[in-house]
Amino acid sequence: MSAAGITAPFVRRRRPAAVRRRQFLVAVANHAFLIAAAIAFLAPIGFMALTALMTSDQALSSHLWPHPFRWHNFVDVFTTAPIWRWTLNTLQYSVLATIGVLVSSIPVAYALARLRWRGRNVAFMIVLIALMLPPQVSVVPLYVMWAKLHLVGTLWPVIIPNWLGDAFSIFLLRQFFLTIPEEYLDAARVDGCGELRILFTVVTRLAKPAIAAVALFSFLYTFNDFFLPLLYTGENEHNWVLQIGLSEFRSLHQVQWNLTMAATLLVMAPVIVIFFLAQKAFVEGVTLTGVKG
Amino acid sequence: MVPLERRRARRRAEWRRRRLVLLLMSPWLVGFSLFFGYPLVMSAYLSLNHYDLLSPPRWIGLANYRYLFGEDAQVGPAIKNTLWMIAVLVPLQVLFALGVALMLARARQGIGFFRTVFYLPALTPPVAATLGFVYILNPVTGPVNNILKHIGINGPLWFQDPAWAKPSLVLLGLWGVGNTMVIFLAAVLDVPTHLYESAELDGANWLQRLRWVTLPTISPVILFAVILGVIQGLQYFTQAYVAGNIASGQASQAGDVSSVGFGYPEDSTLFYPVLLYQHGFSDFQMGYASAMAMLLLAVSFAVTLVIVLNSRRWVHHAAGALK
Amino acid sequence: MKRVAIIAALVAVVVGAVAAVAGGARQASPTKLTVWVGWSAGHELTVFKQVAAEYDKAHPDITLNIVGGITDTKIVAAIRSGQAPEVVSSFNSYNVGIYCGTGAWRDLAPFMAKSHIKASMFPAATQYYTQYEGKRCALPLLADTYGLYYNTTLFKKAGIKSPPKTMTELAADAKKLTEKNSDGSFKVVGLDPMIGFYENVPERWVAAFGAKWTDAKGNSILSKQPGWAKWLKWHKSLLDWYGYKNLVKFQAGLGDEFSSSMAFEIGKLAMVMDGEWRVAFIQNEHPELKYATAPLPADDAHPELYGSGYINGTIIGLPKNGSHVDQAWELVKYLTTNTHALAVLSNGLRNVPSTSASTRSKELTPDAHFAPFLKIFSHPKSGTSPITASGQSYINLVQQFVIKYQAGKVKDLAAGLRDTDKQLDAQVKQAKGGGGVP
Repeated sequence: MSAAGITAPFVRRRRPAAVRRRQFLVAVANHAFLIAAAIAFLAPIGFMALTALMTSDQALSSHLWPHPFRWHNFVDVFTTAPIWRWTLNTLQYSVLATIGVLVSSIPVAYALARLRWRGRNVAFMIVLIALMLPPQVSVVPLYVMWAKLHLVGTLWPVIIPNWLGDAFSIFLLRQFFLTIPEEYLDAARVDGCGELRILFTVVTRLAKPAIAAVALFSFLYTFNDFFLPLLYTGENEHNWVLQIGLSEFRSLHQVQWNLTMAATLLVMAPVIVIFFLAQKAFVEGVTLTGVKG
Repeated sequence: MVPLERRRARRRAEWRRRRLVLLLMSPWLVGFSLFFGYPLVMSAYLSLNHYDLLSPPRWIGLANYRYLFGEDAQVGPAIKNTLWMIAVLVPLQVLFALGVALMLARARQGIGFFRTVFYLPALTPPVAATLGFVYILNPVTGPVNNILKHIGINGPLWFQDPAWAKPSLVLLGLWGVGNTMVIFLAAVLDVPTHLYESAELDGANWLQRLRWVTLPTISPVILFAVILGVIQGLQYFTQAYVAGNIASGQASQAGDVSSVGFGYPEDSTLFYPVLLYQHGFSDFQMGYASAMAMLLLAVSFAVTLVIVLNSRRWVHHAAGALK
Repeated sequence: MKRVAIIAALVAVVVGAVAAVAGGARQASPTKLTVWVGWSAGHELTVFKQVAAEYDKAHPDITLNIVGGITDTKIVAAIRSGQAPEVVSSFNSYNVGIYCGTGAWRDLAPFMAKSHIKASMFPAATQYYTQYEGKRCALPLLADTYGLYYNTTLFKKAGIKSPPKTMTELAADAKKLTEKNSDGSFKVVGLDPMIGFYENVPERWVAAFGAKWTDAKGNSILSKQPGWAKWLKWHKSLLDWYGYKNLVKFQAGLGDEFSSSMAFEIGKLAMVMDGEWRVAFIQNEHPELKYATAPLPADDAHPELYGSGYINGTIIGLPKNGSHVDQAWELVKYLTTNTHALAVLSNGLRNVPSTSASTRSKELTPDAHFAPFLKIFSHPKSGTSPITASGQSYINLVQQFVIKYQAGKVKDLAAGLRDTDKQLDAQVKQAKGGGGVP
């Protein structure tokens, strides 16, 4: 698993000065590159923050530094656009979808990982294939179906599929479930637990990091989702999520760039906050997908 | 117990197990049929019809495909743009993420801080990131060109110039490389140190160690990143759609008169999924959009197959991930 | 026994009360008609709601719910998912071919016959763009015409005495009025005709050259009509004088079209081709601006075209799955034919009233800035763009070609126009291809 700490390859003897100096220069160059890269990575957010604090005319000019600092922009954003309603819609989507993903993907992953049955490998292959499918392939018939059900314009077409299994979460959970030693499950079976009880009590407790990662990723993915909400609620402002609202922000009453940047930062903020609160789970989850997958 | 009873008991247990599997798999079975199987079949059917969802579908045979492969002048640019994006962004992302990961692995202090800095942008919502980039790359009012002007460079028109619009999107894509980088970092740190030790004993310098120890060991992860990148490239929509709309400056309320936003400027940001969306949901051509979807499906399969088959040559399968 | 009687009595009372309330409610609750309109900017939606309120008061059996900011995609999405309102309207007529052809908007002929509304009440151009192949599924609700706005202060400064009447004069004046900053960027641009910028779309400019789009059979004739090539060459030569990239850079730093920093309103553009509604916007946002209006100049070779212009406009109709159809029709009839309503809307929105009768209404407040647009509307040579089976994508295809041409990506104009004709015909064939539009 990943580790933040670094262990030296072996006990170092004192190296000759020339070698040490070369290694020092290399380290400096290394760090210099990293620092430069870090600055480049932080710069866009910095620029956005500076613009968010400018007046509307300043944002249209070529000034780099706000003069004065208009903190009130962040408040103005809320009066210019229905941010609260968008937030409510986004939460409705993300929370319901995440719960649905967990409820529907855990059993499937368990069946694929720890139960033996014919066709198990075929099913897993199909799950993987579904991962590779571009959503645009299924978009037209699904839209037609939801339109016939009179649900276009609402968020249900994007929420409901998450209650019927999500390929990525199934994959992640299955990989993790595979690592659970059989002894734990056997001990529970010996105690007389049925498979379902094993799943609900033992496995979920053991797989807490993976489940946390799945929940985080689901929430994040649905929070950032644009295409599907655009398709289904794009024409119904009442149900816009934050991403749709943000993309339309500039044309709502012809809002200028300073408020747009303020709104952009506000939309980015929850994600960043969640990251800092759940850093460990994030990194573990990411490595779960990449390294174990 | 009599053998017959034993067999019956076994069959009952077997039946109970199958029922359990069915129960556990049921959400996915329903979901798969409804959201994977059904749309695939329906897409194929609709692609042979003319359908605007305002009147019933009318059978037109292969007319949509004829239009797709010959007469729609925008399909060529859309396919070219998508292939360009995959061919340029995926290698750049992998190389950049790998480079940063390797540097981070060598660094002693501050790994946590740097990792956070590089990972955060990847978490930001694509819409927000795109909006930010379109603004800071605005050729007149954006800070990037202003800074370039101060050091004497006449900055390009970025999202306003068809030659620079895709590179601008590549910059945006590189900013979001944190996900891949974190995976690479973990993989690099996981390389068993005894392999490095034996390589050093054999007299290998850092380049040789990289080439013969590090890269082969993490090659499954590189493959994973490449496949993921290609899949994302084939679906590339949000950033292109938002960038085109915002950069074109067209108010999307009040009139919808011109189509300048799609692929702005001059079809340079018109990617295949964007064109599909335009035809299906802006142009009343859902049958034709289904034909486009079928083509996309075929290409997705082909490309993924090619990569996976090719990978046997350079990917070192330590632990078979897929089996 | 007594208990049963009491319970029965109670039930009877409750049932009776509910029935009374329900019955009373059925009588008292008015029919709700939802009306979708395109207007969304502050003053525009208010004016429409005002007129709606008048109708509302005069008809107690109806309450109106006005929703603004509607676009064609919203209308289509609502009709597709069976959630259409009672009345819809669109800012332009480009998709009429599809609305009428697929039956998405109801055929209004029977309604018009019942109410004795004749198509001839509306001027010829508006008649054309509210029907497709004989089926009329919409009526015009105020029209838009396009002309030239020019800044009189800047004109005086440059020594130009009168607005240009020919395209040559227009280009010359544009160059005279352009001022540059010390660093080479533009301070004032005389005229920015770049297609895709503000209101510049091909159909509004090519009208000045008298070029037609389709022949009698509906085939595209861009390559056969000299007006197209002439316009494009004039257009490109002016753009190249500025420097195409310089104009793109200039545009990137401008305020949004419908904001109060619109470039013409703050003096960064000396002239602009815009719709008649701009008069109201200037009145509300920059009343201090000294400007005048005139028809768009005409091709030098066709002086008889001067005074005409491009006409399009808001259309209104009944979606096929809307309810309360008869009451909805009454509202549509009122909005589109009632001279008083049209006059109030025209005064407030500064849009052109769309019946021949209302253009002569005494209620119209005279406005020197607005008058030229009324004249353009009644000019016999004013026209509109074709209504086709592929709807707006037809117009978009032409625009895409022009955008490529103006960027210098088309080497052979004649060949490019021929190619575009072929693509347009193929597109219409594809749109008709067996379904939807017959």
